[in-house]
Amino acid sequence: MRSSLGVAPDLPTASSPPAVSWERREVYARSASSDSVRDLGEVRKMRMRSTGDGVVIFKMAQSRLSQLTSQISTSLGVGKAKLLIPYDNDVVIVAAKRSAITKAKKGGFKDTCPEEILSGVLRAVYTSVNLDPSLIEDVAVGNVLPPGGGASAARMASLHAGIPNTTAVNTLNRQCSSGLAAVNQIANEIKTGQIDIGIGAGVESMTKGFGPQSLPTEWSEAVLSNQEAADCLIPMGITSENVAKEYRISREAQDAFAASSFHKAAEAQQAGKFREEIIPLQVKWIDPKTEEEKIMLVEADDGIRGGVTAESLAKLKPAFAKDGTTHAGNASQVSDGAAAVLLARRSVAKKLGLPILGKFVAAVAVGVPPRIMGIGPAAAIPKVLQKVGISKDDVDFYEINEAFASQAVMSVESIGIPFEKVNPVGGAIALGHPLGATGARQIATGFSQAKKTGARIFVTSMCIGSGMGMAAVFVNEQ
Amino acid sequence: MQSTYRTSPHACYSIAWSPFHPHRLAVAGAANFGLVGNGRLLTLSPQGIDQAFSTQDGLYDVAWNELHENQVVGGSGDGSIKLWDLTVPDYPIRNWHEHGREVFSVDWSNLQKDLFCSSSWDGSIKLFTPDRPASLLTIPAAQTCTYAALWSPHQPGVVASCASSGLLTLFDLRVPNLPSSTAPTPGPTAPATPALAVPASPGELLTLDWNKYMPHVIATSGVDKNIRIWDTRMVGQGGSVGGVCTGSLAGHQYAIRKIQWSSHRADVISSAGYDMTCRIWTTQPSSPGSSSQLYVHNAHTEFVVGCAWSFFDEDVLATCSWDQSVHIFRPPFPPPRR
Repeated sequence: MRSSLGVAPDLPTASSPPAVSWERREVYARSASSDSVRDLGEVRKMRMRSTGDGVVIFKMAQSRLSQLTSQISTSLGVGKAKLLIPYDNDVVIVAAKRSAITKAKKGGFKDTCPEEILSGVLRAVYTSVNLDPSLIEDVAVGNVLPPGGGASAARMASLHAGIPNTTAVNTLNRQCSSGLAAVNQIANEIKTGQIDIGIGAGVESMTKGFGPQSLPTEWSEAVLSNQEAADCLIPMGITSENVAKEYRISREAQDAFAASSFHKAAEAQQAGKFREEIIPLQVKWIDPKTEEEKIMLVEADDGIRGGVTAESLAKLKPAFAKDGTTHAGNASQVSDGAAAVLLARRSVAKKLGLPILGKFVAAVAVGVPPRIMGIGPAAAIPKVLQKVGISKDDVDFYEINEAFASQAVMSVESIGIPFEKVNPVGGAIALGHPLGATGARQIATGFSQAKKTGARIFVTSMCIGSGMGMAAVFVNEQ
Repeated sequence: MQSTYRTSPHACYSIAWSPFHPHRLAVAGAANFGLVGNGRLLTLSPQGIDQAFSTQDGLYDVAWNELHENQVVGGSGDGSIKLWDLTVPDYPIRNWHEHGREVFSVDWSNLQKDLFCSSSWDGSIKLFTPDRPASLLTIPAAQTCTYAALWSPHQPGVVASCASSGLLTLFDLRVPNLPSSTAPTPGPTAPATPALAVPASPGELLTLDWNKYMPHVIATSGVDKNIRIWDTRMVGQGGSVGGVCTGSLAGHQYAIRKIQWSSHRADVISSAGYDMTCRIWTTQPSSPGSSSQLYVHNAHTEFVVGCAWSFFDEDVLATCSWDQSVHIFRPPFPPPRR
């Protein structure tokens, strides 16, 4: 069949010279007789003869080869490279500080109201970088237990911290991820252009807030008829047992993980590794023996215990079920504390000459079945990594909250993270878990540790009561 | 029908069945694995290699004219697109040299049979009609390599493309004011606003295909080794971002270069990859627990870069590879449920 096109089919148009010269066709005919792929060098020489421009062709071949190489390298390295590039519209962390974390009802903050601890960290983040506080446009505070959502207390803390009344404040509650959710809120406000500078913070006094008074006295029967809704009321310890059972996390594995948390934290504390992230706070403290009121400088975590071993933990009785595996030594401690993260758009931070610790890349929250709420990080971490286009191996270390050893071990194992990359200076089992503060505390710890080790990318994550998980990716630029 | 063709000394890059003749195929190939050297268009029939045409640079993709049984279009490494008439020996009857970089895909519309489109590493998609010496439209689809652009087999004027940014983008040519330019690749341009952009992968997206039976279903794949199935029913007036991932097929050990939905079964898709295999999958395994992978063809000894389902013979698949061979076979998997 002949072509029905308007052009003469056998005459190439002026704009389309013969695709292959006769000389080239002869070369082709010669080489076609051989089954082997022609020698690359010979081809290059041929091309140089026929086109007179070997350099261009060599560069083209190189670019094709590198394109191909990037496609077959197993790690998605492109994503990581993209992540590390500083852009002017990045949300950057200017400062991240935390208070010491102290044991509830016994520790340094047992007689301190949460707003006072919060005020301390809020003041610290902006004074540590000499920022005019009137430039802070919004403050978000995560807290879980306070009555009234802690709204007024947070506003009061902000004013007491020297931040003018023109700066807005809100609290939010996404349970154990509240501190991270607050940072995420501020980061999103900066991303969308609503604000230029803000603080995401978290605080909890479990001394003052923890207990039955933080829960309603009655629930709707209609709502409780939904099984998963009813599951939201399962005590956290039981959800830990459920995770241990369902995913076969042995008592030994949990105790070993917990002991390692204590060991790493004790070592880090002794080496002074927490000094940079902790803001010492002067508070009133009543000596339980003499009932005498003293002024005390709280500058170190007091829940960290040295000398804890898997063997010593093995002696503890399970706390939630007779045949259970969760006990006081492999669960997070009940604590008081606060943390704050000062965020800004990179262009603004640069203009004001503010230091830049690194950037906030992304955060996601996901849902999981409430009865095994602890598996939250196992769902949240892969999702956030996928969103930002990096693999688990691109991350230098992970701060995964240790609500319980069971869920932390499950999460780490299910994602396939080497344990050496998890909580390099210990986690909530050793340090404590002041609910609303933890999300912000991990960021302060993350940046201070990344500065010491030179790590570039780290992830923070935690499980969330009622069945959720949250995870965030940060880039260290110190 | 089970056969092997040798394409020596050219590594295959792409394969396409004739829409007119049940046993005729076109194969795009390139010397030296397409890195440097000539390209080659071959047509195959049960008797062997029918015809051969050479090009100056590697030939990366082919498509048959949907109106003329003897015409084949090919995309070349030098940015040119050539139209051959198999009855005209040696030279193409048309040559469009508009793309600034390697042309990596050409696709003929089976709804508007006078149109075909191309995509290139220069980031643009171009529309052509064989009668015109210049392209009809240039869509600056991405700022990075656009590896493939395919017409919707269901809606005229809808083109889906995928790029190294990991975005699957849909352009609706019926929408007025589609930002475009007819100038031949004026350097970096801001990408056109797609009707829908789906962040489909964290890595480079190398291939995509429209399901032949479900108009809203597109599969994508690439460097992340997963085939993802997308429901794109969110196509709006422009600028929407989203898409719902309705399934993911994992099993390839290296990047996937080419995927194609079966011409005869709505749930079957084939994939060819750098792990030297071509795999066949179902999106609806017979029972919830059973594997979605139906068959692995591991007879190739180099990267498998092309796969195509026959239009005439149900469940007959052709694959092509850098090992300079084309395999045509009927994968042993259960007959369709009807």
